[in-house]
Amino acid sequence: MKEVNIVIEICGSAGEGTISAGEILSRFMSSQGFEIMSFDSYPAEIRGFGKCVAHTRISSNPIYSPGKQADVLISLNDKHSISQLSALKENGVLIYDSQPTKPHQEDNSVAGRANPGTIPYGVPLGMLAQKATGNTRGRNMVALGALSCLFHLDKDAFTESIKARYGKKKQIVIDSNVNSFLEGFNWAKENLKKADAHSFEDVKRPKHKEKLILNGNQLVARAALDANLTFYAGYPITPATKIMEILSKELPRHGGVLLQTEDEIAAIGAVIGAGFGGKRAMTGTSGPGFALMTEFTGLSVMAEVPAVIINSQRGGPSTGMPTKTEQSDFNAALFSGTGDCPRVVLAPTDTKSCYDATVLALYIAEKYQTLVVLLLDFFLSNSIKNIDVPRKPAKKYLNANIAPKADELKDYKRYRFTKNGISPRSIPGTPGGVFFATGLEHDEYGRPNYSETGHLAMTQKRFDKYRSVLSEAPKPQMVISEQGEYDIGVISWGSSAGAAHEAVMTARKEGINAASFSSVMLSPFPESAMIEFSHTCKKILIPELNFSGQFADFAAGILKRPVEKLNFITGRPMASEDILQKMREM
Amino acid sequence: MSSQDHYVIIGNGPAGNHAAAVLRKKDKEARVSIISDECIPYYYKPKLTGFITGSVPREDLLVLSLESYARENIRVRLGQKVERVDVDSKTLHFSHMEKIQYTKLVIASGSDSRMLPSMEPYEWALKFVTSYTDVMEYKDQIKNAQEIFIFGGDFVGFKFLRMLDAMGKKVSILIYPHAFWPYNLSDEMLDQVVANLSKTRVQVIVKDDIKDIKGSPGAYRIKTCNGIEKKADLIFSFNGMTPNIDFIKGSGIDYDHGILVDEYLKTTVDDVYACGSCAQIYNPAIKAYTVTIGWPNAVNQGEVAALNLLGDHKVITSVGRKYFDLEGVKIKTTWWKNIEDE
Repeated sequence: MKEVNIVIEICGSAGEGTISAGEILSRFMSSQGFEIMSFDSYPAEIRGFGKCVAHTRISSNPIYSPGKQADVLISLNDKHSISQLSALKENGVLIYDSQPTKPHQEDNSVAGRANPGTIPYGVPLGMLAQKATGNTRGRNMVALGALSCLFHLDKDAFTESIKARYGKKKQIVIDSNVNSFLEGFNWAKENLKKADAHSFEDVKRPKHKEKLILNGNQLVARAALDANLTFYAGYPITPATKIMEILSKELPRHGGVLLQTEDEIAAIGAVIGAGFGGKRAMTGTSGPGFALMTEFTGLSVMAEVPAVIINSQRGGPSTGMPTKTEQSDFNAALFSGTGDCPRVVLAPTDTKSCYDATVLALYIAEKYQTLVVLLLDFFLSNSIKNIDVPRKPAKKYLNANIAPKADELKDYKRYRFTKNGISPRSIPGTPGGVFFATGLEHDEYGRPNYSETGHLAMTQKRFDKYRSVLSEAPKPQMVISEQGEYDIGVISWGSSAGAAHEAVMTARKEGINAASFSSVMLSPFPESAMIEFSHTCKKILIPELNFSGQFADFAAGILKRPVEKLNFITGRPMASEDILQKMREM
Repeated sequence: MSSQDHYVIIGNGPAGNHAAAVLRKKDKEARVSIISDECIPYYYKPKLTGFITGSVPREDLLVLSLESYARENIRVRLGQKVERVDVDSKTLHFSHMEKIQYTKLVIASGSDSRMLPSMEPYEWALKFVTSYTDVMEYKDQIKNAQEIFIFGGDFVGFKFLRMLDAMGKKVSILIYPHAFWPYNLSDEMLDQVVANLSKTRVQVIVKDDIKDIKGSPGAYRIKTCNGIEKKADLIFSFNGMTPNIDFIKGSGIDYDHGILVDEYLKTTVDDVYACGSCAQIYNPAIKAYTVTIGWPNAVNQGEVAALNLLGDHKVITSVGRKYFDLEGVKIKTTWWKNIEDE
């Protein structure tokens, strides 16, 4: 049976229904049994008519990265789509509006600028939408209709999918969208001559149970609720705002509280306060907000108060590129702030692991009474994937505080030295559990103490505790073979890991002897596992989305050997094709 | 020539490409653009049958790669259809509603399948194979089909028929005497063709015509005037070619069957030339217009049109093969009149 692996991009201007068309396409394809991964890019500015691209990869097989080049470009806007042509494959398909409201001057038409070899299908999108609904707003649905006809997609099922998408809207909205879709389908059937080889007819579809179609932010919010989050404080910032938006509705329903603060410093302050009060608390931000929160992160570590910060990275430094993805906050997540301030850092590697990592972050923060940074990025936050329904967290992840025993409360030492550094923590209100909590260095009771030996012992305690977190680290993800020795080992982190694993799998099919390694836990890092992996590899390649190779430098320090860096700051997610190309050249 | 010049060639076959090559060679500065409504770069049409059977891979169809155009700084606009020519403002209007300006224009748009007026009622059932685009559309259908009916004949049709026979398809052909329009097969020629075909598994029907076609793809039923009934999965029509010149109609460029050009390949409008099978060329010796077919003719005409466009004064001569071989019968290569014989 044939297999399909195709990337479809819809490009238009803000307000033209580009993103919603992409969402409808993704949901429909998922309902048809395909694996999907989609990713939207849109302008940072709220007002205006900036360029939007809905990027969707559809496959008969598991998907690990979004795909670099598109097989199909649906243009809803010539000007924006011209600049998107470079992302269209050499023999790609272009669906464009063949009847714009006025003629294009030379080279202002996407069809005219298409690369030779492109297979163009002109469809009078606006005219057909006008015919179907009396206005041109349904151009996006007309385009989907034409696509459905050209690629032999199930028209009736697609129609149902559109109805489901607009199910809560007025009937006229549903009818307009459906009619526009059908108009496009029927017109294409009558007028277009199939000239490309893409078809979804008789292709392999993975058999899967019920799938959820969610992005990373949605999964973080869902995981937080499932893991008994009771307090969230935050200040809106792209790309983390969606988490707050979801929780603003859902958290109160679950008995929790959401607080929108005046800034990020207040948000982390409130989270530490709630954590001190025994509540599971979290905040979410991006680079600029994380910089502000740094002022408070030391308190969480010093006073041993649970706190979780989600930092969804975007292009930086400063306010940088709000709607572009990057992995350039690695150093900030691990090392920002003052003093010897060990903190836990987790970086999910794909949409699904956003759920697991959030549960783990809240658990570790509570059990180890410390700061946990959950390092997402714009791509992970916003990319949509169809995933199996996540398993609810096991009981141990829901209540992790190690409370003092009754006899310990007789002479309660909040910061008692223990073997693993975790001191039983009383929640305010616990009889006999009164203690001092301060950002100042302190003794076992929490009283300020600046003695030489005291500071050393307490610092040692905090680091012991930090190191013991390693026992909670998810097993590193590896693509290895029975050979056990490799010419190239690819070590990656965060959202680049999927592309790295995919590149290695493809490389092996090409005869390149390669393996890959990634870890969700970045701090403390499972050093021995990475060193062991590295010993099996002649060369090490570390791809990441930052300029200087922040993780590569970190890893080289652990591995004590040179590593090959592969860095991009294009604002786009890591492409397995680029990693593969680098491997071919090595 | 100034660097502001924009030479535009409509057509991506041998005539158009050789015109472009000459223009680029002679004028390094000017913009040179080739426009084609097909999505594939310059390719060998005669190899299309091999492409259908799978014996010729796509890359072997190509005469030139896209890289070679880039090297020569020739812009290729593929999959773009010129809908109208405005000779006053020297503007080409595309079907995708883009307008571009030209300084000088070469029309080498070739020819398309000819639809016989008597077959128009059955257009819904007929398939034509004249281009890569057609082949892409029918390739899989042909592979899956068991029984195929061919109506007409012509050079391409007979090559196609041979291909289907080699593929093990059950093929019937109704040889239409006017398939080689305007050149008719004489009875003697027809008998010889039928005799040669009798050595194959092809079922040949002659001196008959279509009376009715019913059904749908995969299940057509064909009735002839003489009462023969045939079933077919696909029906193909091969009844010669007709110049592809609809886009110049109304522009002021004169045409008859093809675009009328003088012996220098210049049309009736300044700065517009035509060559290849879309052109109807004046022959002063016979004081009449003729249309030519065949690759060598197209190459020669493309080069001459380009040279004359640049100021030369070359008279076109008929070149290339004098005859084509049709099932052992020699057919003259020109259409309306044969220059050499007149």
